[in-house]
Amino acid sequence: MTATGEVLLKVENLSVEFDTPRGPVRAVDGVSWQVRAGEMLAILGESGSGKSVSTQALTGILEMPPGRIVSGTAEYRGADLIQMTTKERRKVVGDRITMVFQDSLSALNPVQSVGTQIAECYRVHRGMSKRDAMKKAAEMLDQVRIPAAAKRVGDYPHEFSGGMRQRVMLAMALALDPDVLIADEPTTALDVTVQAQILELIAELQAERDMGVVLITHDLGVVSDVADNVVVMYAGHVVERAATAEALENPVHPYTEGLLGSMPSAELKGRELPTIPGTPPSLHAIPSGCAFRTRCPIAVDDCAADVPPLLTIAPGREAACIRRTSLVAKEAV
Amino acid sequence: MIRFVLRRALAAVPIGVLVTLGVFALVFAMPGDPLRELAGDKPIPAAVLAAKRAQYHLDDPFIVQYLLSMKDILTGHFGTTFAGADIADQLRLRIPVTLKLTLLANAVQWTLGLFFGIYAGFKRNGWVDRSLLLATLVLLAVPGLVAYFAAQYLFGVELKWFPVSGVLEGFPHAYLLPALVIGVLGFAGLARLLRTSIVETVNADFVKTARAKGLGEQRVLWRHILPNALLPVVTFIGLDLAGMFGGAIITESIFNLPGLGQFMFQAIKLKEGGVVVLLSTLAFISFILINLLIDLLYGVLDPRVRNV
Repeated sequence: MTATGEVLLKVENLSVEFDTPRGPVRAVDGVSWQVRAGEMLAILGESGSGKSVSTQALTGILEMPPGRIVSGTAEYRGADLIQMTTKERRKVVGDRITMVFQDSLSALNPVQSVGTQIAECYRVHRGMSKRDAMKKAAEMLDQVRIPAAAKRVGDYPHEFSGGMRQRVMLAMALALDPDVLIADEPTTALDVTVQAQILELIAELQAERDMGVVLITHDLGVVSDVADNVVVMYAGHVVERAATAEALENPVHPYTEGLLGSMPSAELKGRELPTIPGTPPSLHAIPSGCAFRTRCPIAVDDCAADVPPLLTIAPGREAACIRRTSLVAKEAV
Repeated sequence: MIRFVLRRALAAVPIGVLVTLGVFALVFAMPGDPLRELAGDKPIPAAVLAAKRAQYHLDDPFIVQYLLSMKDILTGHFGTTFAGADIADQLRLRIPVTLKLTLLANAVQWTLGLFFGIYAGFKRNGWVDRSLLLATLVLLAVPGLVAYFAAQYLFGVELKWFPVSGVLEGFPHAYLLPALVIGVLGFAGLARLLRTSIVETVNADFVKTARAKGLGEQRVLWRHILPNALLPVVTFIGLDLAGMFGGAIITESIFNLPGLGQFMFQAIKLKEGGVVVLLSTLAFISFILINLLIDLLYGVLDPRVRNV
């Protein structure tokens, strides 16, 4: 818990359902987290764990229907984004809270120059003239370290490399100097060296601006490199919340443990990489009680009874596992 | 850009030779004697017949006839029809008729197609969308011939809203009925293509980005969705516009509009190879030009295919 800045975005008890032909499924179930100024919060989880859906729901860009927010609040400086009218929300999302997406080739409009797309932020939210907005766009490209930015402002997305495109996305997201940046798997489509550059860039720009960053990822390596705190999600639930260093050194939830165990490392050289047995449950058939129990090495009969609550086991440290939380509680006594 | 146009023009030459040769061969292969057909039941003196045959080179071998026709076309000496009309004059009179009909029909088709396509695309599964699907199936199932005669009978003969045939009432009144029928028969395909294209584009990631930028729905629609969704439609419109001449043969004959289509119909009936090839060449050139324009337009709309 290094960050002590103002709480910028506070999500509480957020639940999102999708209507499907086979009935409603709950993709996000009672999720809570918060991000402070200057903090980088990682939301870690595999595909389908609800990590992207939760942020898309609170920013209002989730397709609704079929999506539906069942409960919860998402407060930006005390104002609930979910209760806002679309018009009010548009003044916050895109201005004070901005987003970066995974695949920059499909996330940028292919028939508009990158300059036009960045300038659009200034034109719509700041009412700038076309020329001023384009000038600012070129400045932004320069800030995200795109070489010869002034010349490239009229180029189209397909004329950039993957890493450069992601920088363009970043320039667009940071154009209005937002308070919160939600980066939805920003490095997934990039190769490893470019990944590191982009993460470094995000961290640098964050430090310059003292903004809160929500980094959605399935990559533990990414988390350990840059995140201050981490929220681990499994099947729509938060299963563990901790400072990054603690979660990596001393995971409490067996799922986090399993994820760490399956990370390649020097000690495991030449041996088969351990994996978590089984596959994530279909959202149509989430096991009763703890969703992870069918894959859990330490599951007992009690695990099937109730959904384990997220319990505080130390300051800033929470986990949802009846086996581990009771254990730690006993140890603490 | 200039290189692109030149390359296209060069590529058109061999295709043009094949097309004209093929068309000429088809006319040549048709049974019957054109001059006897022209004369009808009246007996023609053998000497007149021989003179006429020589004038139109009807006794020369196929390839010689073809080359002579092409020479006339390329040098602009179109000559006269078998019936004695000056072909250049005919073209001057007939091209505006066909252009008026085609452009009016396309205006109807595009207006309806774009309007319903965009509307159905943005209000998916609404009643307009559902009716459009049904209308498309019905319209596609109705043969053009039936629709033309039915419309002519209902709106021309019975209700008397439009002239039954001919161009005596001038533009646009005389052209309205055939143009409307062509437009209505054709708009459904355009609308469905646009609808599908919009539905695909709406789910694209960059639309999500646009929403995440806090843009209003109208701006997302006109600046981000439509410019992308219209790309496949541009290609469709080009092909469709070029194909209009084929449709004109039937429509102009039914509604008795003295355009190129009707000219073509008469020429085919009389086995006038020269005229048929001339008109085919005209159609071919306009086809090439329209497609070239569409390709250039496509490059303007989509930066990804520029300079190819």
